[in-house]
Amino acid sequence: MEEATQAFVFFWLAGLFLLFGFMLSFFSKVHWQRRAGLFLFGAGLLSLMATPWTLPFSPSSAFGHLLGSLIGPSVLLGVGFYQITFSGNVPVGKLGPGDRKIGYVMVVGGVLWLQGMHWWHLTPTYPDEVNRYWLIFWPTMLLGVLAISSGAYGVLAMVGVQRQKEQRLMGGVAFFALYSILVGAFFDGPNVNSERFVSQVFLAAADVFGALVGALFAVLVFALVLVVYERQQPDPDRLEPPNAEQLTQASRMIAQQMEGGVEDE
Amino acid sequence: MNKSHPLTVLFRLGTFVLLPLMVALSAVWWFKGASGEGTLVRFANALLTSFTLMSFVLLFTLFVYGDARKRPIAPLFGMCLSGLIGAGLTVYFLSQGELLMEDNGSVRAQALSNIIRFGTTMIGLGLAGMVVAGALFSSVMSGPRNTILFEEE
Repeated sequence: MEEATQAFVFFWLAGLFLLFGFMLSFFSKVHWQRRAGLFLFGAGLLSLMATPWTLPFSPSSAFGHLLGSLIGPSVLLGVGFYQITFSGNVPVGKLGPGDRKIGYVMVVGGVLWLQGMHWWHLTPTYPDEVNRYWLIFWPTMLLGVLAISSGAYGVLAMVGVQRQKEQRLMGGVAFFALYSILVGAFFDGPNVNSERFVSQVFLAAADVFGALVGALFAVLVFALVLVVYERQQPDPDRLEPPNAEQLTQASRMIAQQMEGGVEDE
Repeated sequence: MNKSHPLTVLFRLGTFVLLPLMVALSAVWWFKGASGEGTLVRFANALLTSFTLMSFVLLFTLFVYGDARKRPIAPLFGMCLSGLIGAGLTVYFLSQGELLMEDNGSVRAQALSNIIRFGTTMIGLGLAGMVVAGALFSSVMSGPRNTILFEEE
Protein backbone atom coordinates (compact mmCIF):
# COMPACT_ATOMS: atom_id res chain seq x y z
CA MET A 1 0.00 0.00 0.00
CA GLU A 2 1.23 3.52 -0.80
CA GLU A 3 2.17 5.74 2.13
CA ALA A 4 -0.58 8.28 1.36
CA THR A 5 -3.22 5.52 1.22
CA GLN A 6 -1.90 4.01 4.45
CA ALA A 7 -2.09 7.43 6.15
CA PHE A 8 -5.65 7.90 4.88
CA VAL A 9 -6.85 4.50 6.08
CA PHE A 10 -5.07 4.27 9.44
CA PHE A 11 -5.21 7.93 10.47
CA TRP A 12 -7.78 10.09 8.70
CA LEU A 13 -10.45 7.45 8.20
CA ALA A 14 -9.88 6.31 11.79
CA GLY A 15 -10.31 9.92 12.97
CA LEU A 16 -13.55 10.16 11.02
CA PHE A 17 -14.75 6.88 12.59
CA LEU A 18 -13.90 8.27 16.02
CA LEU A 19 -15.86 11.50 15.48
CA PHE A 20 -18.81 9.88 13.70
CA GLY A 21 -18.96 7.04 16.25
CA PHE A 22 -18.94 9.47 19.16
CA MET A 23 -21.75 11.54 17.65
CA LEU A 24 -23.81 8.48 16.73
CA SER A 25 -23.51 6.96 20.22
CA PHE A 26 -24.23 10.33 21.83
CA PHE A 27 -27.15 11.57 19.74
CA SER A 28 -28.90 8.49 18.38
CA LYS A 29 -31.96 7.13 20.18
CA VAL A 30 -31.84 3.75 18.42
CA HIS A 31 -30.13 1.05 20.47
CA TRP A 32 -28.23 -0.69 17.63
CA GLN A 33 -27.04 2.64 16.23
CA ARG A 34 -25.64 3.60 19.64
CA ARG A 35 -23.80 0.28 19.84
CA ALA A 36 -22.49 0.70 16.29
CA GLY A 37 -21.37 4.22 17.25
CA LEU A 38 -19.46 2.89 20.26
CA PHE A 39 -17.84 0.22 18.07
CA LEU A 40 -16.76 2.83 15.48
CA PHE A 41 -15.44 5.06 18.27
CA GLY A 42 -13.39 2.23 19.79
CA ALA A 43 -12.06 1.03 16.42
CA GLY A 44 -11.09 4.59 15.44
CA LEU A 45 -9.36 5.21 18.76
CA LEU A 46 -7.40 1.95 18.58
CA SER A 47 -6.33 2.64 15.00
CA LEU A 48 -5.16 6.15 15.93
CA MET A 49 -3.23 4.86 18.94
CA ALA A 50 -1.57 2.22 16.78
CA THR A 51 -0.20 4.78 14.27
CA PRO A 52 3.35 4.77 15.77
CA TRP A 53 3.49 1.15 14.49
CA THR A 54 1.25 1.38 11.40
CA LEU A 55 2.50 4.79 10.15
CA PRO A 56 6.03 5.20 11.55
CA PHE A 57 7.00 7.35 8.52
CA SER A 58 4.24 9.95 9.08
CA PRO A 59 4.69 12.98 11.41
CA SER A 60 0.96 12.65 12.24
CA SER A 61 1.70 9.43 14.14
CA ALA A 62 3.00 11.66 16.98
CA PHE A 63 -0.69 12.42 17.65
CA GLY A 64 -1.43 8.70 18.07
CA HIS A 65 1.56 8.46 20.38
CA LEU A 66 0.17 11.32 22.49
CA LEU A 67 -3.22 9.57 22.71
CA GLY A 68 -1.52 6.39 23.93
CA SER A 69 0.51 8.38 26.47
CA LEU A 70 -2.63 10.02 27.88
CA ILE A 71 -4.71 6.86 28.27
CA GLY A 72 -3.17 5.96 31.65
CA PRO A 73 -3.70 9.25 33.52
CA SER A 74 -7.12 9.76 31.85
CA VAL A 75 -8.38 6.38 33.02
CA LEU A 76 -7.03 6.98 36.54
CA LEU A 77 -8.74 10.39 36.73
CA GLY A 78 -12.00 9.25 35.16
CA VAL A 79 -12.42 6.08 37.22
CA GLY A 80 -11.11 7.82 40.34
CA PHE A 81 -13.67 10.64 40.18
CA TYR A 82 -16.40 8.08 39.41
CA GLN A 83 -15.47 6.08 42.53
CA ILE A 84 -15.46 9.19 44.74
CA THR A 85 -18.71 10.58 43.33
CA PHE A 86 -20.68 7.33 43.53
CA SER A 87 -19.53 6.51 47.05
CA GLY A 88 -21.18 9.75 48.21
CA ASN A 89 -24.85 10.62 48.70
CA VAL A 90 -26.35 8.86 45.68
CA PRO A 91 -29.83 7.32 45.89
CA VAL A 92 -28.96 4.09 44.02
CA GLY A 93 -25.80 2.18 43.16
CA LYS A 94 -23.81 3.54 46.08
CA LEU A 95 -20.23 2.26 46.32
CA GLY A 96 -18.50 1.39 49.59
CA PRO A 97 -16.04 3.49 51.64
CA GLY A 98 -13.15 1.34 50.36
CA ASP A 99 -13.98 2.38 46.79
CA ARG A 100 -13.85 5.99 47.90
CA LYS A 101 -10.30 5.58 49.21
CA ILE A 102 -9.27 3.82 45.99
CA GLY A 103 -10.84 6.73 44.07
CA TYR A 104 -8.76 9.29 45.98
CA VAL A 105 -5.58 7.26 45.34
CA MET A 106 -6.43 7.03 41.61
CA VAL A 107 -7.09 10.78 41.26
CA VAL A 108 -3.87 11.69 43.08
CA GLY A 109 -2.02 9.12 40.93
CA GLY A 110 -3.51 10.60 37.73
CA VAL A 111 -2.55 14.17 38.70
CA LEU A 112 0.99 13.09 39.70
CA TRP A 113 1.36 11.15 36.45
CA LEU A 114 0.43 14.21 34.37
CA GLN A 115 2.72 16.47 36.41
CA GLY A 116 5.46 13.84 36.12
CA MET A 117 5.16 14.07 32.34
CA HIS A 118 6.41 17.64 32.60
CA TRP A 119 8.58 17.57 35.71
CA TRP A 120 10.05 14.08 35.58
CA HIS A 121 11.25 11.56 32.99
CA LEU A 122 7.72 10.53 31.95
CA THR A 123 7.56 13.14 29.14
CA PRO A 124 6.16 11.57 25.93
CA THR A 125 9.14 11.29 23.60
CA TYR A 126 8.57 10.44 19.94
CA PRO A 127 10.58 9.33 17.98
CA ASP A 128 13.68 10.73 19.74
CA GLU A 129 12.56 14.18 20.91
CA VAL A 130 9.68 15.51 23.04
CA ASN A 131 6.39 14.76 21.27
CA ARG A 132 5.39 18.09 19.66
CA TYR A 133 1.70 17.49 20.42
CA TRP A 134 2.53 17.07 24.10
CA LEU A 135 3.96 20.61 23.97
CA ILE A 136 0.55 21.80 22.74
CA PHE A 137 -1.53 19.57 25.02
CA TRP A 138 -0.02 20.38 28.42
CA PRO A 139 -0.30 24.21 28.38
CA THR A 140 -3.77 23.88 26.79
CA MET A 141 -4.94 21.61 29.57
CA LEU A 142 -3.55 23.90 32.28
CA LEU A 143 -5.20 26.96 30.69
CA GLY A 144 -8.41 24.94 30.29
CA VAL A 145 -8.47 23.88 33.95
CA LEU A 146 -7.84 27.49 34.99
CA ALA A 147 -10.64 28.88 32.80
CA ILE A 148 -13.23 26.16 33.48
CA SER A 149 -12.69 26.05 37.25
CA SER A 150 -12.87 29.87 37.41
CA GLY A 151 -16.08 29.72 35.38
CA ALA A 152 -17.48 27.06 37.74
CA TYR A 153 -16.51 29.30 40.69
CA GLY A 154 -18.47 32.13 39.06
CA VAL A 155 -21.53 29.95 38.38
CA LEU A 156 -21.52 28.71 41.99
CA ALA A 157 -21.24 32.30 43.23
CA MET A 158 -24.14 33.42 41.05
CA VAL A 159 -26.64 30.56 41.41
CA GLY A 160 -25.30 28.25 44.14
CA VAL A 161 -27.03 28.00 47.51
CA GLN A 162 -24.88 26.81 50.43
CA ARG A 163 -22.08 25.86 48.04
CA GLN A 164 -19.19 27.63 49.77
CA LYS A 165 -17.25 24.36 50.07
CA GLU A 166 -17.49 23.72 46.32
CA GLN A 167 -16.56 27.34 45.63
CA ARG A 168 -13.42 26.99 47.74
CA LEU A 169 -12.58 23.75 45.92
CA MET A 170 -12.95 25.39 42.49
CA GLY A 171 -10.83 28.31 43.68
CA GLY A 172 -8.19 25.80 44.84
CA VAL A 173 -8.22 23.95 41.50
CA ALA A 174 -7.87 27.25 39.60
CA PHE A 175 -5.00 28.32 41.86
CA PHE A 176 -3.26 24.96 41.34
CA ALA A 177 -3.49 25.36 37.55
CA LEU A 178 -2.20 28.96 37.76
CA TYR A 179 0.63 27.83 40.03
CA SER A 180 1.56 25.02 37.60
CA ILE A 181 1.71 27.51 34.70
CA LEU A 182 3.86 29.99 36.64
CA VAL A 183 6.23 27.33 38.00
CA GLY A 184 6.63 25.87 34.49
CA ALA A 185 7.38 29.37 33.17
CA PHE A 186 10.15 30.00 35.72
CA PHE A 187 11.80 26.60 36.19
CA ASP A 188 13.18 24.15 33.63
CA GLY A 189 11.86 20.60 33.49
CA PRO A 190 14.21 17.73 32.60
CA ASN A 191 12.94 17.68 28.98
CA VAL A 192 11.14 21.00 28.46
CA ASN A 193 12.89 24.22 29.48
CA SER A 194 11.03 27.27 30.75
CA GLU A 195 11.59 29.35 27.57
CA ARG A 196 10.02 26.69 25.41
CA PHE A 197 7.14 26.25 27.87
CA VAL A 198 6.43 30.00 27.89
CA SER A 199 6.28 30.21 24.09
CA GLN A 200 3.99 27.15 24.03
CA VAL A 201 1.69 28.73 26.66
CA PHE A 202 1.13 31.74 24.38
CA LEU A 203 0.60 29.53 21.32
CA ALA A 204 -1.82 27.34 23.30
CA ALA A 205 -3.74 30.45 24.41
CA ALA A 206 -3.95 31.52 20.73
CA ASP A 207 -5.22 28.03 19.85
CA VAL A 208 -7.85 28.09 22.62
CA PHE A 209 -9.12 31.60 21.84
CA GLY A 210 -9.12 30.88 18.10
CA ALA A 211 -11.03 27.64 18.60
CA LEU A 212 -13.59 29.34 20.86
CA VAL A 213 -14.17 32.26 18.48
CA GLY A 214 -14.43 29.92 15.49
CA ALA A 215 -16.89 27.67 17.32
CA LEU A 216 -18.93 30.71 18.37
CA PHE A 217 -19.18 31.88 14.74
CA ALA A 218 -20.24 28.37 13.65
CA VAL A 219 -22.95 28.25 16.35
CA LEU A 220 -24.18 31.72 15.29
CA VAL A 221 -24.42 30.59 11.66
CA PHE A 222 -26.21 27.42 12.84
CA ALA A 223 -28.74 29.49 14.82
CA LEU A 224 -29.21 31.84 11.85
CA VAL A 225 -29.84 28.93 9.46
CA LEU A 226 -32.49 27.45 11.79
CA VAL A 227 -34.18 30.82 12.41
CA VAL A 228 -34.37 31.56 8.67
CA TYR A 229 -35.76 28.07 8.00
CA GLU A 230 -38.35 28.22 10.80
CA ARG A 231 -39.55 31.68 9.72
CA GLN A 232 -40.26 30.38 6.24
CA GLN A 233 -42.56 27.67 7.57
CA PRO A 234 -46.33 28.25 7.30
CA ASP A 235 -48.14 28.85 10.58
CA PRO A 236 -49.70 25.69 12.08
CA ASP A 237 -53.46 25.22 11.65
CA ARG A 238 -55.33 27.08 14.34
CA LEU A 239 -58.04 25.23 16.28
CA GLU A 240 -61.52 26.65 16.69
CA PRO A 241 -62.07 28.26 20.10
CA PRO A 242 -63.87 25.95 22.59
CA ASN A 243 -67.65 26.06 22.57
CA ALA A 244 -69.84 26.48 25.64
CA GLU A 245 -70.30 22.73 26.18
CA GLN A 246 -66.51 22.08 26.10
CA LEU A 247 -65.90 24.97 28.49
CA THR A 248 -68.48 23.58 30.91
CA GLN A 249 -66.87 20.13 30.76
CA ALA A 250 -63.42 21.61 31.34
CA SER A 251 -64.58 23.68 34.32
CA ARG A 252 -66.27 20.56 35.80
CA MET A 253 -63.02 18.58 35.52
CA ILE A 254 -60.96 21.41 37.01
CA ALA A 255 -63.40 21.68 39.90
CA GLN A 256 -63.10 17.92 40.53
CA GLN A 257 -59.30 18.20 40.62
CA MET A 258 -59.38 21.22 42.93
CA GLU A 259 -61.66 19.48 45.42
CA GLY A 260 -59.28 16.54 45.62
CA GLY A 261 -60.05 12.87 45.99
CA VAL A 262 -58.83 10.06 48.14
CA GLU A 263 -55.36 10.82 49.54
CA ASP A 264 -52.41 8.75 48.35
CA GLU A 265 -50.03 7.13 50.78
CA MET B 1 -35.49 37.08 44.16
CA ASN B 2 -33.46 39.66 42.29
CA LYS B 3 -33.27 38.66 38.61
CA SER B 4 -30.33 39.93 36.54
CA HIS B 5 -30.45 40.67 32.83
CA PRO B 6 -29.16 37.66 30.78
CA LEU B 7 -26.46 39.84 29.19
CA THR B 8 -25.25 40.92 32.63
CA VAL B 9 -25.04 37.27 33.70
CA LEU B 10 -23.15 36.40 30.51
CA PHE B 11 -20.76 39.30 31.04
CA ARG B 12 -20.08 38.27 34.66
CA LEU B 13 -19.51 34.66 33.63
CA GLY B 14 -17.21 35.75 30.81
CA THR B 15 -15.24 37.83 33.30
CA PHE B 16 -14.88 34.86 35.64
CA VAL B 17 -13.58 32.69 32.76
CA LEU B 18 -11.33 35.19 30.99
CA LEU B 19 -9.89 37.27 33.83
CA PRO B 20 -7.76 34.49 35.40
CA LEU B 21 -6.50 33.55 31.92
CA MET B 22 -5.51 37.16 31.28
CA VAL B 23 -3.84 37.38 34.68
CA ALA B 24 -1.83 34.19 34.01
CA LEU B 25 -0.76 35.29 30.52
CA SER B 26 0.05 38.85 31.68
CA ALA B 27 2.12 37.53 34.59
CA VAL B 28 4.10 35.20 32.31
CA TRP B 29 4.55 37.96 29.71
CA TRP B 30 5.53 40.56 32.34
CA PHE B 31 8.12 38.44 34.13
CA LYS B 32 9.48 36.40 31.22
CA GLY B 33 9.08 38.92 28.39
CA ALA B 34 7.90 36.39 25.77
CA SER B 35 7.85 37.70 22.20
CA GLY B 36 4.50 36.17 21.31
CA GLU B 37 5.82 35.37 17.85
CA GLY B 38 3.44 33.34 15.72
CA THR B 39 0.44 33.73 18.04
CA LEU B 40 -1.62 35.72 15.52
CA VAL B 41 -1.02 33.10 12.82
CA ARG B 42 -1.96 30.37 15.30
CA PHE B 43 -5.11 32.27 16.30
CA ALA B 44 -6.21 32.71 12.67
CA ASN B 45 -5.50 29.07 11.80
CA ALA B 46 -7.35 27.85 14.90
CA LEU B 47 -10.32 30.13 14.15
CA LEU B 48 -10.69 28.94 10.55
CA THR B 49 -10.22 25.27 11.46
CA SER B 50 -12.63 25.47 14.37
CA PHE B 51 -15.29 27.24 12.28
CA THR B 52 -15.04 24.68 9.48
CA LEU B 53 -15.01 21.58 11.68
CA MET B 54 -17.74 22.87 14.03
CA SER B 55 -19.94 23.64 11.02
CA PHE B 56 -19.64 20.01 9.89
CA VAL B 57 -20.26 18.73 13.44
CA LEU B 58 -23.37 20.92 13.70
CA LEU B 59 -24.41 19.58 10.30
CA PHE B 60 -24.43 16.10 11.89
CA THR B 61 -26.65 17.35 14.72
CA LEU B 62 -29.21 18.50 12.14
CA PHE B 63 -30.03 14.84 11.51
CA VAL B 64 -31.36 14.71 15.09
CA TYR B 65 -33.24 17.99 14.52
CA GLY B 66 -34.61 16.48 11.30
CA ASP B 67 -36.25 13.63 13.25
CA ALA B 68 -38.68 16.15 14.77
CA ARG B 69 -39.15 18.31 11.66
CA LYS B 70 -39.98 15.98 8.73
CA ARG B 71 -36.32 15.89 7.59
CA PRO B 72 -35.99 19.30 5.92
CA ILE B 73 -33.25 19.78 3.33
CA ALA B 74 -32.77 23.56 3.66
CA PRO B 75 -30.89 23.63 7.03
CA LEU B 76 -28.68 20.74 5.89
CA PHE B 77 -27.84 22.69 2.77
CA GLY B 78 -27.21 25.84 4.86
CA MET B 79 -24.75 24.18 7.23
CA CYS B 80 -23.06 22.28 4.40
CA LEU B 81 -22.56 25.63 2.67
CA SER B 82 -21.19 27.10 5.91
CA GLY B 83 -18.66 24.26 6.25
CA LEU B 84 -17.63 24.56 2.61
CA ILE B 85 -17.20 28.35 2.96
CA GLY B 86 -14.97 27.71 6.01
CA ALA B 87 -12.90 25.16 4.06
CA GLY B 88 -12.69 27.52 1.07
CA LEU B 89 -11.57 30.44 3.25
CA THR B 90 -8.94 28.22 4.91
CA VAL B 91 -7.50 27.12 1.57
CA TYR B 92 -7.64 30.70 0.21
CA PHE B 93 -5.78 32.25 3.14
CA LEU B 94 -3.25 29.40 3.31
CA SER B 95 -2.51 29.95 -0.39
CA GLN B 96 -1.54 33.60 0.21
CA GLY B 97 2.19 32.98 0.56
CA GLU B 98 3.50 33.12 4.12
CA LEU B 99 0.36 34.73 5.59
CA LEU B 100 -0.90 31.73 7.58
CA MET B 101 1.82 29.18 6.86
CA GLU B 102 3.82 27.75 9.76
CA ASP B 103 6.49 25.04 9.55
CA ASN B 104 4.78 23.18 6.70
CA GLY B 105 5.78 22.98 3.07
CA SER B 106 2.38 22.93 1.38
CA VAL B 107 -1.20 24.14 1.83
CA ARG B 108 -2.41 20.56 2.32
CA ALA B 109 0.20 19.81 4.97
CA GLN B 110 -0.67 23.03 6.85
CA ALA B 111 -4.42 22.31 6.69
CA LEU B 112 -3.94 18.75 7.97
CA SER B 113 -1.58 20.00 10.67
CA ASN B 114 -4.26 22.52 11.73
CA ILE B 115 -6.81 19.72 12.07
CA ILE B 116 -4.50 17.58 14.23
CA ARG B 117 -3.63 20.58 16.41
CA PHE B 118 -7.33 21.37 16.79
CA GLY B 119 -7.84 17.75 17.93
CA THR B 120 -5.03 18.15 20.47
CA THR B 121 -6.61 21.37 21.77
CA MET B 122 -9.97 19.63 22.11
CA ILE B 123 -8.39 16.73 24.02
CA GLY B 124 -6.66 19.20 26.36
CA LEU B 125 -9.88 21.11 27.00
CA GLY B 126 -11.88 17.86 27.31
CA LEU B 127 -9.54 16.46 29.94
CA ALA B 128 -9.57 19.83 31.74
CA GLY B 129 -13.37 19.74 31.76
CA MET B 130 -13.32 16.18 33.09
CA VAL B 131 -11.00 17.16 35.96
CA VAL B 132 -13.08 20.19 36.96
CA ALA B 133 -16.44 18.42 36.60
CA GLY B 134 -15.11 15.37 38.46
CA ALA B 135 -13.82 17.48 41.34
CA LEU B 136 -17.05 19.46 41.51
CA PHE B 137 -19.40 16.46 41.47
CA SER B 138 -17.21 14.56 43.95
CA SER B 139 -17.57 17.46 46.35
CA VAL B 140 -21.31 17.94 45.73
CA MET B 141 -22.04 14.24 46.34
CA SER B 142 -19.77 14.06 49.38
CA GLY B 143 -21.66 16.65 51.42
CA PRO B 144 -24.88 16.16 53.38
CA ARG B 145 -27.99 15.91 51.25
CA ASN B 146 -29.54 19.36 50.81
CA THR B 147 -33.25 19.66 51.58
CA ILE B 148 -35.50 22.40 50.31
CA LEU B 149 -37.55 23.96 53.06
CA PHE B 150 -40.87 25.46 51.97
CA GLU B 151 -42.32 28.27 54.00
CA GLU B 152 -45.76 27.53 55.38
CA GLU B 153 -48.48 29.49 53.67
